[in-house]
Amino acid sequence: MTIRLVGVSASYPTLRVIICLKELGLPYELEPPASYQSLKDEDYIANKHPFGKTPVLFDGDFRITESRAICRYLASKYQGKHNDTILIPNDVHKAGLVDQFISYELSYYDPPLLKIVYQKKFVKNFLNKDPDPEIIKQAHEELAKVLDVYEKLLEGKEYLNGEYSLADLVHCPGTYCVYGAGHSDLWDSRPNVKNWWNRLCNRD
Amino acid sequence: MTIRLIGYSALYPTLRVIICLKELGLPYELEPPASYQSLKDEDYIANKHPFGKIPVLFDGDFRITESRAICRYLTSKYQGKHNDTILIPNDVHKAGLVDQFISYELSYYDPPLSKLVYQEKFAKKFFNKDPDPEVIKQAREELAKVLDVYEKLLEGKEYLNGEYSLADLVLCPGTNYVYGAGHSDLWDSRPNVKNWWNRLCNRDTNKKSFEEIKSFWENLGK
Repeated sequence: MTIRLVGVSASYPTLRVIICLKELGLPYELEPPASYQSLKDEDYIANKHPFGKTPVLFDGDFRITESRAICRYLASKYQGKHNDTILIPNDVHKAGLVDQFISYELSYYDPPLLKIVYQKKFVKNFLNKDPDPEIIKQAHEELAKVLDVYEKLLEGKEYLNGEYSLADLVHCPGTYCVYGAGHSDLWDSRPNVKNWWNRLCNRD
Repeated sequence: MTIRLIGYSALYPTLRVIICLKELGLPYELEPPASYQSLKDEDYIANKHPFGKIPVLFDGDFRITESRAICRYLTSKYQGKHNDTILIPNDVHKAGLVDQFISYELSYYDPPLSKLVYQEKFAKKFFNKDPDPEVIKQAREELAKVLDVYEKLLEGKEYLNGEYSLADLVLCPGTNYVYGAGHSDLWDSRPNVKNWWNRLCNRDTNKKSFEEIKSFWENLGK
């Protein structure tokens, strides 16, 4: 039975899961919701996501939500079944560090990134307002400090945990959005970060 | 070699790891940092946490940070070794759901909870500011909506994933603070949530951990 993914590919949590499915060689069907408003319908909340969000993944009768939890589940179940890609190492210490880096992404990297994505991508297109330059400036500065830390974390390494893993994957969709929205200098001005991002962009 | 945990037991991410260590029957040594300011020292950032945070765990030479990642690591490595407690089920589907509930805690439950913890516990004692009633009101309303969802999630279940797991553990420290700080009505007014919280409070590990924290706060006032 094919995996069903409810979500919009333009939304980067959904894109996170799509990249994971592709990395693991898994076929899937993408089902965009009827509309953004439909996520608040009683039926959606009862049968898809209790907090009215996307993405939601159905693997047969099994339903799971929250993009990073979905990625971990897919890696645990299918890693090595369709190809050799390792997203979560088998060694418990290496896996622990991948988890740690996913937590860094969630706690430190994503918040300023999300502010920029919201201002540049959603405010104009969906809410018909102008982006707020003050928020963008603060988020840019916050992200710069985070990337200073990443510059050190990546010293002597090709990927966050040495080899490509889920830790790098989770960063990709949001970074792609902001990099292409006029903030590429944040990554390109830091050699380790720049090389890491180029490597990630070159993955099929 | 004993596990070393750097952190303050009064801060709930550290307490999350302490409860996990106790649940798994693991001995550990708690090392409070020299001071809160020392977390920004170059040495701390280079050798402990690159973002200047706590907790940090050393298992022999292995260092890991971020409380929920630490808990998952400890569970993966030590579950079943010292006792029968299962924090992450072996079945891949059940484990996936535990992960999902941990994500709900992080994304929806913790944000309003941590605002309340800050206002009720830390603002006055550590920053000499009065709690802001507007922030408290908004955080309470947000948490009430989240707990309405939890009320449905817990229908017919004793714990979030049926049986006790890491999904329930991660919520305990922060909830203990806010419940005891005059907001118990949020949990007690919802039958499923109330019963679930009572069950969690009755676990030995929580009873002991919450007692330790209570004396910290009582001593702080003196």
